[in-house]
Amino acid sequence: MRRQPLLPELIARRELVSNFVVRNLKQRYKGSALGFLWSLLHPLFLVVIYLVFIRLMRFSMRLPHLLVGVMAWQFVSLSAGDAAGVVLGHASLVKKTWFPRVILPLAAVLGNLVHFGLSLLVLAVVLPLLGVPPRAGWLHLPWLIGLQFLFCLGISLGLSALNVFFRDVEHLVPIGLMSWFFVTPVIYSAEQVVGNPTLPGWVAPVFFANPMAALLAWYRHAFLGDPLPAVPLWPGLSMAFAVFALGLLLFMRLEPRFADEL
Amino acid sequence: MGDVAPAITVSNLGKRYRLQHQGQTTLKTAALRIFARGTPRGEEFWALRRVSFEVRRGETLGIIGRNGAGKSTMLGLIAGTITPTEGTAETDGRISSLLELGAGFHPDLTGRENVFLNGSILGLRRREIRNRFDDIVAFSELERFIDLPVKHYSSGMFVRLAFSVAMEVDPEILIVDEVLSVGDERFRDKCRTRIGEFRRRGKTFLIVSHDMDTIQAICDRVLVLDRGETVLVDRPARAVSEYHSLNALGGGEGPAMREWGTREAEITGVELSTARGGEAGALRGGEGFTALVRWRAARRIENPVFGFALADDDGKVLYGTNTAIDGPAIPAIEGVGAIALEIGPLPFLRGRYHLTFAVHSHDHRTFHRLDNCRAVTVAPDDEHDGSIRLAARWDLPG
Repeated sequence: MRRQPLLPELIARRELVSNFVVRNLKQRYKGSALGFLWSLLHPLFLVVIYLVFIRLMRFSMRLPHLLVGVMAWQFVSLSAGDAAGVVLGHASLVKKTWFPRVILPLAAVLGNLVHFGLSLLVLAVVLPLLGVPPRAGWLHLPWLIGLQFLFCLGISLGLSALNVFFRDVEHLVPIGLMSWFFVTPVIYSAEQVVGNPTLPGWVAPVFFANPMAALLAWYRHAFLGDPLPAVPLWPGLSMAFAVFALGLLLFMRLEPRFADEL
Repeated sequence: MGDVAPAITVSNLGKRYRLQHQGQTTLKTAALRIFARGTPRGEEFWALRRVSFEVRRGETLGIIGRNGAGKSTMLGLIAGTITPTEGTAETDGRISSLLELGAGFHPDLTGRENVFLNGSILGLRRREIRNRFDDIVAFSELERFIDLPVKHYSSGMFVRLAFSVAMEVDPEILIVDEVLSVGDERFRDKCRTRIGEFRRRGKTFLIVSHDMDTIQAICDRVLVLDRGETVLVDRPARAVSEYHSLNALGGGEGPAMREWGTREAEITGVELSTARGGEAGALRGGEGFTALVRWRAARRIENPVFGFALADDDGKVLYGTNTAIDGPAIPAIEGVGAIALEIGPLPFLRGRYHLTFAVHSHDHRTFHRLDNCRAVTVAPDDEHDGSIRLAARWDLPG
């Protein structure tokens, strides 16, 4: 077989990766009048809905915090949301032609990264208008985005491979995302958990072992200058990387049997 | 040419599939199965087994066989989309496979976008595709439609574009599955001409087809597969005649193998033999066989009944019997053991017949049943027409 080490092969096939990314993006917006604008309109609509909700519930949450939270959450939620169809949706390709299968989830997550990049650009414009000037903390963004990218990729790799064998995955993902959303401080502030004396002591560390909770704390620190919580964040960040490693391992393990199952 | 490394080397290639039973997978067994390396339980069948051959550089090899012979599995293994269970399929050089025309085409994208995407799936750089783009479009004769989403293409247009891309990739090895039978006559001629040029340039070509005229016209050698095994690799004329005789023997794949029951008692194996000795896959006319049915019963089972049925290639049961009808009565079974069934001379002239074995309770609860689990082939030994043997005698009265 023509199996080579993964990384050199991916580099050799980088044009295929970019073609897939471009195709994914084109496909998503083909036929809609506003096209690419939807990638920005969608999170903005979400922000408006959450704002109303936050008002009604009398949460203490400021708009800049909400914006940062929603944008970063969108990245992971889109990646997990489309993961189930990433391999399954290319069944005929996988059965009929050979190329490194990893390209499929990679291209999907890269497409979502493009969206995320665009929404960060919007943030960079909007935040100063909301009275949050650019700050040196923004220099943290590259590693934060890199880590979140790997995290999303790990999720996509794992879920897309599993869904080939158990179609249950695609039904579980929306439920999982929904519950995950509620334990992640997107539309509420992490302080409500960390500084809450009515909660037992173990809650805060567990809360921040969630990679997205840890990443959001860092994003808000970088963008808005929020102090980092007193709870260690490295478990959550390592967890993000572990998810990537595990997803990749699972994918490589299951990949040889894809064509048999599709 | 002789001392050059072959373009394709297939050695002892085998692919085993598991027959899946819907709704039987629990999360626990599923989780175990993902990480299990050993052979899991369940029904299995070999789509391909013990196949070895080489294709020299510049050679055109045809693969023929009836439905279910393993042709598509073979191509998938060579193209690298399917992972072999045993053995290897090695290729040397860029492969372009037309296993399914336009497999990489996306309906919402335009012809142009699809050419670039498909080209890169087949391993071309964007620059290379750009250089060849005009040739691709010219060959496909789709200049006017190239910026239209391919979902608006007719199937003929779709095929033309896919074929053009695959040819322009300029592969060392081209794999084609039933492609030349589509498109209109004129485009088909054009494809044949292009494939002819391709072969003259010393490229290797692998084709699966049911069209024996095409096979005879373009192949140097032909591999005949049947039920996953090599029948022969030979000159086209000889291979095609072998293929025809396989078809005459019995069309199609035959009835489905199935396995079911409560498994309180199980049939663990069936050995067929003839009076000549040895395995009885192929019988001569007028020959019978003996089946040794091995069983296992985890607990004591009173009054079990063993059954047998014989069906033709369409799955129609021609004969059935069991120990309740013919005896002997079996008081009980427990542990392991065997029972022998002797079938006298088969009243068939030719054809393939499928055997079913079962063990059930005296009140017809099925413990274990193996539908069509074995086949015997009766080869004609005289010149009578038809499928069954009658005691016929001509007489001139007077």
